[in-house]
Amino acid sequence: MKIALVGNQNSGKTTLFNLLTGLNQKIGNWPGVTIERKEGVIKGTSHVLVDLPGVYSMSPYTVEEEVSRQFAFEERPDIIINIIDATSVERSLYLTTQLMELDGKVIVALNMCDMLEEKGIHIDEKKLEEAFGIKFIKISALKKTGIDELIKSLTLVGQDAEKKKLFPDDVEEYITAAERAIQGKTPHKRFAAVKMLEGDKLFSALQTDELKSAAVKLTEKYGMDAEQIVANERYNFIVAAKSAAVTAGQRKESITDKLDKIFLNKYAALPIFAAIMFLIYFLSVGLVGRYTVDAIDSLVLKFGGWLSVALRGVGASEWAVSLVVDGIVAGVGAVLTFVPQLIVLFLLISILETSGYMSRIAFFLDRLFKKIGLSGKSLIPFIVGVGCSVPGIMTARTVENESERKMTVILTPFIPCSAKLPIIALFAGYFFKNYSGLISASLYFFAVGVIIVTALIMKKFAFKGGGSSFISELPAYKFPSPRYVLRDIVEKTASFIRRAGTVILLCSVIIWLLASFSWDYRYGVDIGESMLAGIGNALGWLFYPMLGEWSWAASVSAIQGLIAKEQVVSSMEIIAGLAEGAGGEVFRSSVFSFFTGASAYAYMVFCIFSAPCIASIAAMRRELGSTKKMLAAVAFQTVFAWLLSCLVFGIGRFFEVVT
Amino acid sequence: MENESVKADRRYIEVNETRRENAGGEEAARKHLRRLQPGEKAHLSDLRRGQSGLVTGVHNDNAALRRRLLDMGMTKGVVVTVKKIAPLGDPIDIELRGYELCIRKSDMANIDIEVIS
Repeated sequence: MKIALVGNQNSGKTTLFNLLTGLNQKIGNWPGVTIERKEGVIKGTSHVLVDLPGVYSMSPYTVEEEVSRQFAFEERPDIIINIIDATSVERSLYLTTQLMELDGKVIVALNMCDMLEEKGIHIDEKKLEEAFGIKFIKISALKKTGIDELIKSLTLVGQDAEKKKLFPDDVEEYITAAERAIQGKTPHKRFAAVKMLEGDKLFSALQTDELKSAAVKLTEKYGMDAEQIVANERYNFIVAAKSAAVTAGQRKESITDKLDKIFLNKYAALPIFAAIMFLIYFLSVGLVGRYTVDAIDSLVLKFGGWLSVALRGVGASEWAVSLVVDGIVAGVGAVLTFVPQLIVLFLLISILETSGYMSRIAFFLDRLFKKIGLSGKSLIPFIVGVGCSVPGIMTARTVENESERKMTVILTPFIPCSAKLPIIALFAGYFFKNYSGLISASLYFFAVGVIIVTALIMKKFAFKGGGSSFISELPAYKFPSPRYVLRDIVEKTASFIRRAGTVILLCSVIIWLLASFSWDYRYGVDIGESMLAGIGNALGWLFYPMLGEWSWAASVSAIQGLIAKEQVVSSMEIIAGLAEGAGGEVFRSSVFSFFTGASAYAYMVFCIFSAPCIASIAAMRRELGSTKKMLAAVAFQTVFAWLLSCLVFGIGRFFEVVT
Repeated sequence: MENESVKADRRYIEVNETRRENAGGEEAARKHLRRLQPGEKAHLSDLRRGQSGLVTGVHNDNAALRRRLLDMGMTKGVVVTVKKIAPLGDPIDIELRGYELCIRKSDMANIDIEVIS
């Protein structure tokens, strides 16, 4: 049996999905976390459950809402579980009235029932069942109540006998006539009939002259257009049902209102936001890094030393020992050094995402972002992108306006993501020792500046779409669920480590090979004569203006950022190790000793703002919908990053020389 | 000869156009406007924080956007209250049907209301 989970944005669909299937999909507290359909099997049964992006109605307004509508309409699930925020039934039941018009069974799950008492609301679900003619079940996905009953109700038959008709008699007359006219031509005929009354283009092929004139008569009688009649009558029906079934308590000022007095304060809102973003980078790179990087570094060194002794002990040849110790251990170890910092980053982002603050950011920065051709909702991809650009790019789908959406897709990779964090931590930790937190936070604000400037450029030359709007729900603040936050951190960290054990390991082997052999396949040559140096030298001219030095090693490392940004660090570690003979400080090795503060910052700027990793490029291609546009965007990013880093180097070197 | 309703329509559209153009930098001008009294007819964007109104019509050149507003419960006869204003003056957070919705002032200018309080 195929079951679809349909509901408003931010109604807890994914929390319920995770609970029913035992999977761990991403949740958050802002409208539009889920942007693609996800499938799982309900635990203990063989039912397939599909989690769909949130919709407010069956007339889609954004790209991701279209996914939900198409699924419900074309794949025709056997059962729709309509999940509803019980603390806001009136708006939520609007979708229910539309789902009832589809063929198939609808079960309403009244979610967040644990919050009802606190809010002084009482819901009599039996009265709602009477009014709607479908099953209502009270649940709490967070507190895990009512779930067994919900699963049981899936297989009960006969309870769904009579879906009630909700429109006034004259509208129902039209619907009956339309249903008769389209009999056998489309599935979900009641739904189609209502859409025909509204004049939906999707069903225009089925229109007849009689139906058209009947619709016109109705609009004349009601004194408004058909879309308004239908929406009005749905809400009239809901209000009537609600007044019988729901008693609301006295509304007092909620915690959310109190918090918003601070977070949305006229003068404090922007500084608070800046402080939060500053803290995220400051804490993850600066505070924790100081204690962990050296400790893990020396651990990796010790492990390498122990391993080389052990390998020699079993008779391994010199090159095999070098491959394992100088290649794999150094390369993978270089990346793993930064895991504690990433854990802090993931923790802070996860708290930010589940608290409800994200929607506020979109809300209060919308005006500013509108000016530069973006939407307030573009901010959400920019913050999700702090973790990883790929989900960030996909989150851009919640932006309604097409040109705003595409600009957001192109700009999101500029944000320093978690894979870029090792680069920042490595350079900032060495060259700006006591200010490493400050420097990494500065790069975030640098990125914001870059985004604003590039947005203005793109608005002027590439995207000229007007007529945008901003409509968003403002959810209540929630205390982040520790259980979920923990799972989120574990999953993200595990995926980073997994990447270190696969992609980075493979690359380490390749880099070691290229760095250890010359073009005529001689082993043990000076690294300056290796194949890797040859490749780097071919690229040296590109990087000369931002480094002030011809460096094959830095050049060849920077381009590896295409594979994965943390690979830059891994490559540098391997090259430094081989150049010096034994391991040690990267920037003390002969190949990297030329770096100064200015070139270090410029190099970071290039690595952060140039073409993102291959996974992000693929995501960009998907969202932009064409390879050509994707290539243009990547070329734009890279050229822009190159110019910027040359500029940064020029200014920085000027001050270094002067002082 | 134009009949009265056509004229009224045209006037409405003109007012609307200027409203939309001004919607961004309107604050300065608004300070001179008096607070609207119960029973007056106005646009949703004219209400101040804490004021409520009864929606009497939803217009918008953008059909999809209008549809979205209807879907979100912005229908004739619903009571809306201005709750929060973004620190930069736009968008505005309004309460209706037991939840909160953020919407730009330029779109609020296309919603007719009758002031309740």
